Amino acid sequence: MLNRRTFASSVALAALATGTHPAHAAAAVGQAAPDFTATDALGRTHKLSDFKGKHVVLEWTNPGCPFVVKHYSGNMQALQSEFTGKGVVWLSVNSTVKESRDYLSPAKLMAWKAEKKAAATAVLMDESGQIGQLYGAKTTPHMYIINPQGVLAYAGAIDSVASSRVEDIKTATNYVRQGLTEALGGKPISVASTRSYGCFIKYKDV
Amino acid sequence: MNFRFLKNALLFIAACAHIHWAIAQVNPLNGVVKAAGSVVATDQVRAELLAFAPDGVGPGKQVWVGLQIAHQPQWHTYWKNSGDSGLPTVLEFKWPAGIDPGEIAWPTPKKIPIGTLANYGYEGTVLLPVPLTVAQNFTGSQLDIKLKAAWLVCKKECIPQEGDFALSIPAKSSTAISAAAFQAAFDATPKLIKTNASQSSLIEVTGNTIKISLSDLPAALTGKTLAFFPETGNVIEPAAPWTQGWQGKVWTAQIPLSGQRTDSPSVMPVVVALDTTAYRIEVPVKGQWPQVAAAVQVAPALEAALKANASSGAAPIQASATALTFWAALLGAFIGGMMLNLMPCVFPVLAIKVVSFVKVKDQRTRVTSGLAYTAGVTLSFLALGALLLGLRAAGEQLGWGFQLQSPAVVAGLAVLFTLLGLNLAGLFEFGNFLPSRVASLQVKNPTVDSFLSGVLGTAVASPCTAPFMGASLGYAVGLPAVQALAVFAAIGLGMALPYLAASAVPAVARLLPRPGPWMVTFKQLMAFPMFATVVWLVWVLGQQSGIDGAGTLLGLLVLMALVIWALTLRGRARAVIATLSVAAGAYGIWAVGPSITKLQEPGSASHALTRGWQAWEPGRVDQLTASGQSVFVDFTAAWCVTCQYNKKTTLSNPSVLADFETKKVALLRADWTRRDPAVTAALTQLGRSGVPVYVIYKPGRAPVLLSEILSVEDVRAELAKL
Repeated sequence: MLNRRTFASSVALAALATGTHPAHAAAAVGQAAPDFTATDALGRTHKLSDFKGKHVVLEWTNPGCPFVVKHYSGNMQALQSEFTGKGVVWLSVNSTVKESRDYLSPAKLMAWKAEKKAAATAVLMDESGQIGQLYGAKTTPHMYIINPQGVLAYAGAIDSVASSRVEDIKTATNYVRQGLTEALGGKPISVASTRSYGCFIKYKDV
Repeated sequence: MNFRFLKNALLFIAACAHIHWAIAQVNPLNGVVKAAGSVVATDQVRAELLAFAPDGVGPGKQVWVGLQIAHQPQWHTYWKNSGDSGLPTVLEFKWPAGIDPGEIAWPTPKKIPIGTLANYGYEGTVLLPVPLTVAQNFTGSQLDIKLKAAWLVCKKECIPQEGDFALSIPAKSSTAISAAAFQAAFDATPKLIKTNASQSSLIEVTGNTIKISLSDLPAALTGKTLAFFPETGNVIEPAAPWTQGWQGKVWTAQIPLSGQRTDSPSVMPVVVALDTTAYRIEVPVKGQWPQVAAAVQVAPALEAALKANASSGAAPIQASATALTFWAALLGAFIGGMMLNLMPCVFPVLAIKVVSFVKVKDQRTRVTSGLAYTAGVTLSFLALGALLLGLRAAGEQLGWGFQLQSPAVVAGLAVLFTLLGLNLAGLFEFGNFLPSRVASLQVKNPTVDSFLSGVLGTAVASPCTAPFMGASLGYAVGLPAVQALAVFAAIGLGMALPYLAASAVPAVARLLPRPGPWMVTFKQLMAFPMFATVVWLVWVLGQQSGIDGAGTLLGLLVLMALVIWALTLRGRARAVIATLSVAAGAYGIWAVGPSITKLQEPGSASHALTRGWQAWEPGRVDQLTASGQSVFVDFTAAWCVTCQYNKKTTLSNPSVLADFETKKVALLRADWTRRDPAVTAALTQLGRSGVPVYVIYKPGRAPVLLSEILSVEDVRAELAKL
């Protein structure tokens, strides 16, 4: 209950901070990343602001989406292992509404994570879509990097070739790898905002 | 996961004799289909490669090919800008030598909302035509075309599909079997309108919205509601509410920008459509795009400094101090409301209240009228709040004090105050010419009178912003309606409380002098603050409508006084003079009245800035801080009394000006006298919805907000930290 309330007020605050219609109160690159509290697929509670001092990656996911399938052919897992190994917190977020055919229960989601050998720090359940709306997440995958000061440093696509073909991964520039490498090396992120591509997120109707 | 589809996709793949794309094996979800001929059918679409060469294939002849996609109900594929998600259909042709293909002539899409998102695409049957140019040296007897097409088809789920197509077009005979389909596609393709440099089709970027003005549209569209499709992706928020309208023959629209915009084009090609008629216009962009990723470019060392600054908590009110709770906002609003009574705006009304207070003898009537006054104030604040929230929800960029941005409201208030002043001065009594029923109502029913004085109090209070109110109101507009209205009601209650308390405590009444002839003198004295208020309102109107508007208003006020005086006359004089003066008044309103509400062009007299100050514009602060300069921004308005007070005192103080000088602080003034969505957006970003707001920006540091009542000490203390 308490979490819900904290969360509701952080949503209200984010709406205030960006000054837009609540449904479009998207986080903006260069500004404070809106705080949230969420429960992961194992029932543990995570609060974004608890990770201050570390880089945080938010990855919107939906195992039923062909674009997610494309990147879970090995690309996403490699990114996760590489950067969690360097102290980055990696939160996969599933905003798929319960009524969707793509919805996976927490147990099934964890089974999928194990099967895919995914190395995310946690998989957050966001059936209400509130975190997704807070960040303006539109597609799966949709990637975000938050810097140790809690500022949103990257928002957009995982890489530069918008397609569902696995073989395109080889030729694409991976914006998340590039951004995290620059940020960890103390440099500003050169490509900070791109257009994400993928399936639309099956949000709860509002 | 869509199991039915998975099964079908597997069947498809199994049925295909030759699968040469690795992805098909890795990812059975991908419907990769190898077709021997020109048709590929899946469970979601039937795709066919068509050709249109009515005169055969040869140099100079019209040759088109195209992919026709027939969707199953509820399935769709995407336009060149797919909107929030999705991917445009991709056609990769293999051509023989001597053929030069053009771009896909995309038919007009439709907006397909999906929950809180929106896409641009096609349902039903669509043909994506591609024109071919045949070279002089083309000699073949037929044209062999191979196409590899990739499309993403979505309903609730999305399925990427690909297909290989092949087609031969005879060179010597006509291929026109698909003529109707191509003709339909041509009809559905937006017609290009060339923008004429002398015309005023343009896109203005102001804050977080773009204003589009299209002046070259055909007359048949005038007055109609149009659909809008930007060809540039990820600039606007496709699903956000937006507004449109016609100003004569110019179509205008205000559309919110995406918070995660990835493009800042100098020309935006857009498509507007009415049913099946659509036009494509390449619109030049004026103004500066808001920075997309300002803070991220800051070096890590600066970021560390920023963090240190934020944790030291030295600033009086940090920009992030929007972390108000609802209860703190309510309390702030309540205290701010009480302090309104000390502001020059409300003081004259309060003085009149004191007079009426003295007149009432018995305690019960006093309390009743106190309660009526409270109800009048609170309900008026609620009404103003509801109007503000309603207009904001309809997409207007407004904030507290918005009503004074309209010259008509300013002129109306001037009329009201002149009437009150004339009444207090003794020129007339309301009973003289109000219908007697209404007049007696006023006399007999002091409760109604008190209620109305509460409404009046609210009307005059709006130009003043008391301390605490700014933060509370800024917070309120982001809340759900009920809570936001509670904040407005709290201001009203706060404002009415001192009077209500005074009416409830008999001791207060005993302190006041007894009724007597002094009351007439006092009443006449109070006429002067009323006229002073009129002077100020005329000055505000002058800022909005120029010297002509202000002069017109003064002229009409004189005519109004004449009419009122004439109505107080008796007998024949009344009949003659009143008729003449009413006629003169009516003529005056008809002849020159409109110049009151005619807004002056920006950039003229009203924008004459004090030496040392520059006009604020979107992006200017970022530019200055990027070059290492600190910036002080004064968000102000002519109608804002608090702003004018601060400007004449603290901001003109020699020691403050000297400090600005030594610290090399750039001074920007953002004028909100008239409606300006860019300023409203900037205020919203600071968590405010009204003026005054004073902000100090230092490169690499969070902006610092200062108090609404600006003291010399506060400003100097903040400047000392730079």
